[in-house]
Order: sequence, then C-alpha cells, then structure tokens
Amino acid sequence: MLVMGEVHTGLLQNSGEISESTCRQVLGLMTGETVRVSRRPIVHALSPERLTGVDCALPTASRSRVRGVGTVVSRCAVTGGRVAQGSSYVRLVRSEADRRLPWSHYLARPGVVEVLGKAKAADLAEGFTGDSAPGCLNLGAVSGRFLDLVQASPLLDRRAPFKIPRTSLRWVAETGEPSIRFTLHTEQERTLRLTHPGPFTPAVVDLCEDLATHDWLLTSLLVIVERARIGGTPGAQAAARLAPAIDHLMHLWMPAARVEEWLTPFWESLERRPGFTRQWRSLVDRVRDQVAMNALALLSATAEAGRR
Amino acid sequence: MLVFAISDKGGTGRSVTGTNIVYRHALQGNDVCYLDFDFGSPTAGAIFSVSAVARGTRENGLHHYLRGECPQPRRVDVWAESDREGLRARPPGAGRLVLLPGSEGGGELSALTDEVVGRCVQLLGRLDEEFDLCVVDVSAGRSFTAELVLAATVRMPAIPFRWLVFHRWTRQHIIAADGLVTGADGLLDVGTRFGHDPEDLRDRIRFVRTAVLEPDAAELVGLRDEQRAWLSACDSELRELAGRHGVGRTAMLGKIPLDPVLQWREQLITDEDVLASKIANAETAAAFDDLAKKIVDDSAWEGL
Ligand SMILES: Nc1ncnc2c1ncn2[C@@H]1O[C@H](COP(=O)(O)OP(=O)(O)O)[C@@H](O)[C@H]1O
Ligand SMILES: [Mg+2]
Repeated sequence: MLVMGEVHTGLLQNSGEISESTCRQVLGLMTGETVRVSRRPIVHALSPERLTGVDCALPTASRSRVRGVGTVVSRCAVTGGRVAQGSSYVRLVRSEADRRLPWSHYLARPGVVEVLGKAKAADLAEGFTGDSAPGCLNLGAVSGRFLDLVQASPLLDRRAPFKIPRTSLRWVAETGEPSIRFTLHTEQERTLRLTHPGPFTPAVVDLCEDLATHDWLLTSLLVIVERARIGGTPGAQAAARLAPAIDHLMHLWMPAARVEEWLTPFWESLERRPGFTRQWRSLVDRVRDQVAMNALALLSATAEAGRR
Repeated sequence: MLVFAISDKGGTGRSVTGTNIVYRHALQGNDVCYLDFDFGSPTAGAIFSVSAVARGTRENGLHHYLRGECPQPRRVDVWAESDREGLRARPPGAGRLVLLPGSEGGGELSALTDEVVGRCVQLLGRLDEEFDLCVVDVSAGRSFTAELVLAATVRMPAIPFRWLVFHRWTRQHIIAADGLVTGADGLLDVGTRFGHDPEDLRDRIRFVRTAVLEPDAAELVGLRDEQRAWLSACDSELRELAGRHGVGRTAMLGKIPLDPVLQWREQLITDEDVLASKIANAETAAAFDDLAKKIVDDSAWEGL
C-alpha cells in the first residue's frame, strides 16, 4: 500500500568528531553483525537493522480504527563522525487474513506491517503525516530511542561543542507518478510525501535519511547564525559564536552523496524549490565573511598598535 | 547542565527563585528549560504567567510522562505563551525559555520503578542535548521525586549536574537544610545508596538563602536602635549556627533579599518591575542575575 518512516537527527554528543573505528563501535548494537561504512565523499556509518514487534492502531486522518500487526525496521547512522540518526520504517501491506496470525508469520516478513480491516492508503498517509494521535503506531518514539542508544554510548564524552535540538522527518512513500513535497511544521518537525516510479526499495529510506541529515544541518546553521546576532553584537563576539559552525558543521554538506541514481531527480527538484543548497551557501558565505571581517579588524588593530 | 532545586520545607521560595534564575539565564543568552517535578504543587506555570498551565496541565504533564501515559511531555514556550506583556516577546539576544509543566492534580510519585527511572533518564538526556541549563524543581523534603533524580543521575555519569538547597534565614530552616543534605535518608545518604560517590555528590551541592532581610536593609531604617541591635545579634547568631551546620558562607552559592513584590505575589522580576514601575528592588534582580551566572561558573563550585 505505502511505506512510512520517521528519522530523528541530532548532534553526536561528543566534543569532537569521532573516527571511523569509533563509529563502528558506537553503532555495533548487535554483536556478530557488522556496521556498514562508506568513506567517499564523507564517512557514513550505518548500524545493523533491528526489528520491533508491533500490534496497535494505525494513525488515520479520518480517525477510523485500523489495526496493524508486524515489525518495524530501525537503524542508527553517524555521518562525518558528527551527525547521529535514529531511523525507522514500515511497509504497510493489506492482510490476507481477517485476524492476527502467529508471530512466526510476521517474523518471516521483516519490516512489514499487515493492515487488518478496511483502510485507504490516502487515509493512512494523511493520518501519519498529520497530528500524531495518542495510542497509535509511533515510529518517532522508536527512532528517538535508537538515537538515544547512540547518544548514551560510553565511548562518547557528552561534551558537545554547542547545544542544539534534534529534528524529526516523518515520511510517506508510494509508487506512482513522481512527485515530492517537503513541509516544515514546527521548528523541529518536518514531513515528506514522496511518490516514486517502480516498487519500493531500501534506497528510498537512504534518500529520506540523506534529506533529514541536510535539513538538520541547515536548521542548525540557521540557529547558530541567529544566536551570533551579527550586527547586534561586537564583531569579535559574533565571530566567536560562529566558530562552532566552522569547526563542526560546514564541511558536512554533501547532498545526495548516498542516493541511488534513479532517486537523484527528487533531490534536484528540492534544490530548485525550496533550494536547500542555495540557502546553505548563502549562510556559509555569511559566516565566512563575518569571520574574515573580524580577522581583518584584528589585524589592522594590531598594526595600529605597532605604529604607536 | 542539570540543576536540581530542593528545600526541606515548602514555602521557602524554591519555585520563585528557581524560575527567576532560569529567566535571568535566558536573558544572558542561553537556551534554558524549567521542569516542574513538584508533583504535589506544580506552580511554575503561574510564576511564568502562563494561565493555561497555572496549576499544571491536564494532558501530557511531566507526571503523565513519567507514568508512561504519553510519549513526550508538553513543552510551553514562555516567550510565546505567557500572558504577561513584558514576557511575551523574546528580548534581543535572549535564548529559548521553555517550561515543562507538571500534571494538574497529579499528586506525588507513589513508587520508584525501573521504568520511571528509565523515562527520567531519557527525558533529561534529551533536554541536555538542546538546552544550556535545565532546572528541575524537585519539591520539598525527602520524596520519591528526589530519589528518582538521584537514581537517574547515576545512570548518566557524563552529564554534569548540580543541586541547590533553598532555605530561609532562620534557626529552623538552617538546621533543616543541613539535615536534608547530611541527615538520615538525606541527599548524601540516599545518593550513596543509589551509587553516587558521597564526596563527589557533596561537592555538587550548594545552599541558597531566600527572602533574607539584611540588618542594614532600607526596610529597617525606621527601627529603634534597640531593635536594630537585636536583629544584628540574631543575624550573627544565625551565621554562627549556619557555619556549624555546613550551611555557612563557603557552601552558599548566593542569597536573595526579601522583596516586597515577592512577598505579595509569586512572579518573575523583570527589569521593567525595577526600572519602569519601580515596584521591585534592584538588589533582588541583581541577586537573581548573579545566581544565574554562578550556577554555571566552575570557580564558584570548587571543592569545599
Ligand atoms: N525573595 C523573596 N522575598 C519575599 N518573598 C519571597 C521571596 N522568595 C519567595 N517569596 C515568597 O515566599 C512564598 C513561597 O515561595 P515559593 O517559591 O512558592 O516556595 P516553594 O516553592 O519553596 O514552596 C511565596 O509567596 C513567594 O512569593
Ligand atoms: Mg513551589
């Protein structure tokens, strides 16, 4: 019917970025299974997948009661040794039975949640991306807990260079005429509606996680620039407040780096509107200009002092 | 930084002082939040002038969250939701000011289970990622709530935390404040039982004196010489008593003068109250401002 997921993204709770080998250890949630690491163009580490059994109501826009039984797939990721994610998704499939089957049936279909009773895909999609209904399947809670697992790793020193909120991206993917809609809700909540050609593959999840990473980067850089109060405080103070962005965020922008070829048109469409990279570049330029101007001011002040 | 606010008795000024510290810390440019864990009497909403949660919230309060009745507790953005005009716009340079209200009519925690501690750990860990300062109003006296945060902080060894013990400047309050820290089933006793190192924990505890009337205060100008002499003698006696009970100057982080506004109403003291309407004393605002700085100033927290 459709696939829905939620990605939570936050700053890894460590003073500096962590190495590839530390990434492997932090994400090795399950012994015996390996962490997948890709190195180019940025180090990206992905934990083994874990399943969570669910038997609960599914959110619907019409508030009609629909039951879902099956398993949620979850995983964690660390990008550039700096950005941490918890990510979960389910594939909704109409149940062939009209009652719950033995667990072995669901375990044989990892990541599938079977829908019992009458339900329209559109109703479920709207319900999932709308206001969260209490007591219904809550993928955000699962993803949040996976992100907690990473952040609580004893290998991290918990002395992050700045305080910054997590963001959540709730997404729904369906097969059909290609389209993509990215929406900002509150300061920390985003939704994504995606219609892709051909059947669902896990590459769609990679795309959503990549978008979530970049949306978090952009959101966080905006917060840091706002905190610096450029123009409202002395230049040196503003420059000092911008420094963490230079040290920890600005080199991480690699849109669509891990996105399969057939999905890149979706990224390109978001680059046209709302224009992620355009906004990122303008912010980065602003940060660099501020820091450069402050350095110039310092230099001329030192030269002045030397002449006197 | 997590800061736990406690007092031996109710009515000491824990909530009024804690909320004013958080407010001042936000004005100093930090992102802050205030968690109302005083489940018997969640009054923080009223102090921030958010009438919708004046006595706590009916849904998604901290009590509901800890009992597992909602996935996340409600957050109130004070700059957006306060009814007080002077608070309803974020001043330039100020950080976020967020209140997590308690549950209306929630009652004290009745038991400390592993699930409740786990939820507390999850909540504090996540808030620490995004806020420079989280002040937790732990309620008065020995309670499950105090045990809860002692148990939770053992499980988060890398997250910095501190305790503030509020007390009034009287014989009974000084003795009680000491008892709450060092007495049987006090903070050190229970903390050690849960796995804290007693010396380390001791170094993380400081006292705050509330509603202090200094013998040379302006309020006392009309007094007779005999009365002033008597007050002076009382004050030095209390100083001596406080020293003996380990509540003296070295263990004190700050003191808040008695303020006429706070005597009449539980509220935030804004600069407007001091400068424009002139109803509050400048010394009170300065004392809150000073505490808001000292709370994160490591030199004020060096070993005793
Ligand atoms: N510095 C102060 N000067 C005068 N009155 C104060 C001061 N601090 C607190 N109060 C008053 O003392 C009473 C108890 O304060 P409150 O913060 O509610 O105590 P608690 O939270 O410890 O129960 C309130 O009426 C409050 O306005
Ligand atoms: Mg109180």
